Amino acid sequence: MKNISELIVDLAYSAILFNNKEIAEEVRYLEVRMDKLNYEIRIMAMLAARNAEDAEKMAGVLQIAQAADTISNAAADMVKLLAYKLDHPILPHLIKESDETIRKISVDENSAACGKTISELKISSETGVRILAIRRKDRWIYGPKGNVRLRKGDILICIGPEEGIKHLNKLLKGEIEVLE
Amino acid sequence: MSEKEAEALLLELKEKAELMVDLAYSSVIYDNKDLAREVYELENFIDVLNEELQKLAIKDVKGGELEVNEALAIIQLGACSEAIADAARDIADVELRDVELHPVIKESVLESEEVFVRVKVGENSVLKGKTLGDIKLASQTGMWVIAIKRGNKWIYDPTKNTKIEEGDILFAKGPREGMEHFVAIAEGEEKEI
Repeated sequence: MKNISELIVDLAYSAILFNNKEIAEEVRYLEVRMDKLNYEIRIMAMLAARNAEDAEKMAGVLQIAQAADTISNAAADMVKLLAYKLDHPILPHLIKESDETIRKISVDENSAACGKTISELKISSETGVRILAIRRKDRWIYGPKGNVRLRKGDILICIGPEEGIKHLNKLLKGEIEVLE
Repeated sequence: MSEKEAEALLLELKEKAELMVDLAYSSVIYDNKDLAREVYELENFIDVLNEELQKLAIKDVKGGELEVNEALAIIQLGACSEAIADAARDIADVELRDVELHPVIKESVLESEEVFVRVKVGENSVLKGKTLGDIKLASQTGMWVIAIKRGNKWIYDPTKNTKIEEGDILFAKGPREGMEHFVAIAEGEEKEI
C-alpha cells in the first residue's frame, strides 16, 4: 500500500509534467489496484476484530486505508486534467525544455534482455535511464533493484534522457543485442 | 505567471507530496512521532504553495496571459496536491494519536524491508563540512540520504556535491543493519565511517 501510494503520486505528477497519456493510463490502473486492496483490507479488518480492543487497533488501519484511497483518487483526478480540451499542454514550455522523458516500454520475447538482470544489462550506466517500476501481469515491482531479472512481457516504466530511452527501447524490442 | 514559475512550483509540489507520503507511512511503520510531526509541518507548507499557485493562475487570467481553461487546470492540480497532502496528514495522525495498530494487518498494509531514520548532525560529527560524495555514506552504511532539512529550508534529492552542515537534519533510508552505525556517525559518537 505504501509502495502503490508513492508510485502513484510520482507517476501522476510525471504524467502532467511530461504530458504523457501512457503514464496517465498506468495511474488509472494503479488506482483500480488500490481500490481492490482497500476492499480486501476492510474485510480483513472486520473479520479480525473480536472485541473492543481489536476494534480500536483496526480503526487506525482503516484510517490509513481511507487515506491511501484518497491519495490514489487525487492522483487519478490529476491525470484526468490531461484529457481536458486544452489547446496545448498545461506546461508547454517545460515539456519542450526538459531533456528527460518518461515512457512505458514492454519487453519483446525476442529481446536479448529476457532472463537477464537489470545490472547485467548495465541499463543505468549505458543509457542513464532509471526504471521507476515494472509491471508483470497483475503484479508490480516498485523501484526494482539491480538483481531483478527481466521477463518477456514485462512493462517497464522508465525515466531518462531521450537518447537513452530510444537506445533501451531498441534492446527491449530485440533490435540490438547489448547496450553500449 | 511565467512558465518557469509554474514549473518551479509544480516541481516543488511534486517533491513535497512524495516526501510527505513517504514520511507519513514511515512514521507509522517505525512508530516514530518525529516523522509524523514533520508531515504536519509539510502539510502547512503545501497549503501555502497551493495558494500561491492558485493566486498566480487567477492573476494571469485577469492579465490575459492564460485561458480560463488553463487556469482551471492549474487550480485543480493544486487541489489534487492538497488532497494528497491532507491524506498523508491523516496517516501521520494515526501515529500521533497513539492507537496501536493491529500487528498482522500492519504488516500486510505496510510491507517494507527498509528502515527510515531522521537524525540531527551533531557538532562533533565527522560529517560536518563534508559533501555526501566525500563520505561515501551510501556505500559504507547502505543508508541513503533522501532529504536534508536546514533551518526552514528543505534540500531534496541531495547530490554528491551537497555539503553537510552542523544542525542539518538528515532523512535517510536503508537496511536495518546500517541504521545504528549511521546515527552514531551523524550524532558524532562514532568517528569511523
